Amino acid sequence: MMFSSAFSNGRRGAVAIFAATVFIAATAKAQRLLVPMDDAQQNHLKAYGLTYNAIKAGASAEWLLNYRGGSFLLADTPELRRQAGLAGITIEALDNGKVSALRAEIAGANMEAVPLEKAPKVAVYTPPDALPWDDAVTIALKYAGIEYTPIYDDEVEKGDLSKYDWLHLHHEDFTGQLNKFYLSYRDAPWFIDLLQKNTAAAKRLGYANMPGLKKDVAEKIREFVERGGFLFAMCGATETLELAIAGRNVDIAQSFIDGTPMDPDADRKMEWKRTFAFQDVHLEQSPFVNSMSDIDGHQVNVAGRRQPLGTFTLFNFSAKFDPVPSMLVQDHRGVINDFFGVTTSFTKSVLKPGVTVLANEEGAPWVKYIHGDYGKGTWTYYGGHDPEDPQHAIGNPPTDLSLFKNSPGYRLILNNVLFPAAKKKPLKT
Amino acid sequence: MPAIRIRSAWLIGAIGLCVARVAPAAAQAQADTMSFYKALDLEASGKYKEAVPLFRSALHTSAAVNALLGLERVYAELGWSDSLIAPVAALIADNPREETYRTVQLRTLESLGRDVDVQKVIAAWVHDMPTSVSPYREYARLLLQKNRATAADSVLAKAKEVLGTTKDLQLEIAQARAAQGQWIESAKAWRQALLTADYLEQAAAYALAPTPSSARAQIREVFLAPPVEVPSRRALADLEATWGSPADGWNALKDLPVDSASAEAWSEFARRAEAEDRWTIAREALESALRFKHTSEIAIRAGTAAMNGGDPAAALRLAPLSDAHGDSALIAKAYLPLHARALAALGRPSEAERLVAVYDRLLTPAAHNSLVRTIAWGWVRTGDMTRARAALSATGADGDSSDAAGWLALYEGNLKTARGLLRGGTESSPELALALGLVARIKADTAPAIGKAFLALAKGDSIGAATQFVAAADKQPTARSLLLSTAAQIDASGGREAEAVAIWQRILTQEKDSPEAPQAELEWARLLKRKKDSAGAASHLEHMILTYPSSALVPQARRELELVKSSIPPAV
Repeated sequence: MMFSSAFSNGRRGAVAIFAATVFIAATAKAQRLLVPMDDAQQNHLKAYGLTYNAIKAGASAEWLLNYRGGSFLLADTPELRRQAGLAGITIEALDNGKVSALRAEIAGANMEAVPLEKAPKVAVYTPPDALPWDDAVTIALKYAGIEYTPIYDDEVEKGDLSKYDWLHLHHEDFTGQLNKFYLSYRDAPWFIDLLQKNTAAAKRLGYANMPGLKKDVAEKIREFVERGGFLFAMCGATETLELAIAGRNVDIAQSFIDGTPMDPDADRKMEWKRTFAFQDVHLEQSPFVNSMSDIDGHQVNVAGRRQPLGTFTLFNFSAKFDPVPSMLVQDHRGVINDFFGVTTSFTKSVLKPGVTVLANEEGAPWVKYIHGDYGKGTWTYYGGHDPEDPQHAIGNPPTDLSLFKNSPGYRLILNNVLFPAAKKKPLKT
Repeated sequence: MPAIRIRSAWLIGAIGLCVARVAPAAAQAQADTMSFYKALDLEASGKYKEAVPLFRSALHTSAAVNALLGLERVYAELGWSDSLIAPVAALIADNPREETYRTVQLRTLESLGRDVDVQKVIAAWVHDMPTSVSPYREYARLLLQKNRATAADSVLAKAKEVLGTTKDLQLEIAQARAAQGQWIESAKAWRQALLTADYLEQAAAYALAPTPSSARAQIREVFLAPPVEVPSRRALADLEATWGSPADGWNALKDLPVDSASAEAWSEFARRAEAEDRWTIAREALESALRFKHTSEIAIRAGTAAMNGGDPAAALRLAPLSDAHGDSALIAKAYLPLHARALAALGRPSEAERLVAVYDRLLTPAAHNSLVRTIAWGWVRTGDMTRARAALSATGADGDSSDAAGWLALYEGNLKTARGLLRGGTESSPELALALGLVARIKADTAPAIGKAFLALAKGDSIGAATQFVAAADKQPTARSLLLSTAAQIDASGGREAEAVAIWQRILTQEKDSPEAPQAELEWARLLKRKKDSAGAASHLEHMILTYPSSALVPQARRELELVKSSIPPAV
């Protein structure tokens, strides 16, 4: 992993970044390309791909936190100009004088220039077969032109997670109950197919049933983060990953999936000290209620509990002292329309004390976007399914991002892909 | 609302006349009914509070059902829906089998969010009418209106469990499945629902329109499965049109049995195709309708569709003059314009002239002139400009200032006259747009080479037209790139790809600063894409985007580049 836990720990990291910034300022000679990320940018999402691929190709790159919407400063190369032109990405060529002025402005404000060093190896945990719902992260990665490797249970069980720096989870149900879609879709061909394939995979990999397999996968993901991996999860994967980790030794699955009812004393037996973000959660005991727990504030699939969508507000962090949360909230909009998912938001009352809230809905008892450290790694959870399809229903066509190339909601996803590229600096002891 | 006021006043007057003739008890009932109409009047004028007591008093009259619905409306306007709960409960107690009362009660409680009470009244309704499908249907509809498809699904499942069948709930099942994204199941239910309610075909098409492309083949299978049923096929045809594929819509209809219902379906489908200028499938549909019953109206439509679809010989065959059974007025009005057009297009203007002469006495001057212009066009197609000019001259001043005269001037290379006449013309076509674009770019008043090129195009000689446009390009430097681009388009659409590529190459090297240069490169890329050369197409698209970043075509090129790149196989 190229990004140390120390860097993600506030002030010490900030000192390291400051040193790096001074170094760059002193040695900068060549002309630079500024990729503005404010409203001047014609294609925000592809700008992330341009930056990622620049880093991957070994070009120098910096992330200018809080400067014009979180702009990027790249080496001025013909290839980067070409890529920007092809993709319709707005760039501005800066001579040394302008670069110096820019650095002076950054030094005197709540801004920071963070060097981006090495493109992280990205894995997306996704089933090999097409499902009747889209995955916002794979859509964003494909559109931006960031390469990733799809992995699933076989690869995780084989230990392949250690090959990657960054892991994304999306709609998966790690409690092994297929999001309780049994209630509404038991006769749907795609559901029957999904059930058969997952059950077969569990048997093939040596587990009695699907919950057994998924809990073990969840445990391996926990270990991946503990060892220093970057985890980004959305939608139902956030909630169910936590439930699977805490319920490793508890029967939290309903009888329709494993033949036995949920342990009636499950709430008390859950081991929350092992999880990333939540504690003291109340599990939904009824097999007929399409909800997993009280982690989700919106409960979109439970008619009597469903909460309406509002907007969420990104927090403003100190770029110099809190560079990691700052990176995660870089955007050209501070207030973003909310969007549903099987897990849309995270109830405040079940958050662990050390969790960093990145975005919330003012006055609501839930938050939208959270982050934290765990072992040597970090995790980030973003509630909801698709930032540009607020009501996304099963069977809806995938979002065409060429129609949403300036999406502020999708930018948050891509912030997560880039932040592991930030440079690790050795710390003074 | 003056109309309502007048109607109500009339009713009140009528009732007033009756009152004098009935017994005292009946007179009281009539007075109560009058209060219902007064309430309607007050509601129509927005006096909701004043309408409430009158509606309430009418609850105990023969107008009780309508009065309850009125009360529901005004309470909703006032935000007093909870006040409806007690009166509706009383009405149900008096008449437990009146389903409207039950429905209003259900709607009211649901709108107030009183879920527990909703469950109770449903239970009571089921208890009082255990074999009725109504409680399940109304509750499911209510839930569907509230986008609570999963809950509606549970209600429908319960109905099946209790009643043993969901035969009368297919519409609700179809809507619930569609709302849950269960497209195949929804289609199956729609098909069942259409058996008893064929008027729902548009509703079915609307509900299934969001079906993702991956599931559409299965939807087609559901609707196309035997036995052949006209309503479900019509629904599928509507659906295909919504999905942007009217040709597939025709596939849904073309094998219907020949009967009156099918003929109506074919005729209606053709009407939509006609409106969208999809002449080939319109003609097929109308020809099918003719198989059931040969009428002049359908025959003329079929012939017109064939004519517009580029098959003038079929137009003559589909609408022969013999169909008119010697009715000269009908021939002059309906058949003659079609036949004159078809004969002119077939290069038989002398036959058209003879035909027009036979019925000329029945034509208005405007109709006569229009037909003469058509004949002139026919002479143009045969290359006989002298007779074309003579034909137009015969129509007098009107002929000299017509669109056809503009085209004749263009064919003769008289750009000055063509410019004036074509700009003020009434027709609209891609050819006219091209002609106007060219005459605007060329400063000279005469250009015989361009005239020859357009004349060749009019005669259907695309190879000659392309050659003439290239020849004209050498003589017209101000419009050279546009003339070359036109020649390339004609070659490409005629399958002469090598010739088209050579011209695009010339534009990109010799006319690289012209507005046609990015267009030429985009067209070249599209040709390569059609030939499955994705790498070549991507290369041209990239070059076009980077070379002409300010071209209005760049966003389209970027979009096509993304599509092309995803189709490039990964390097091994």
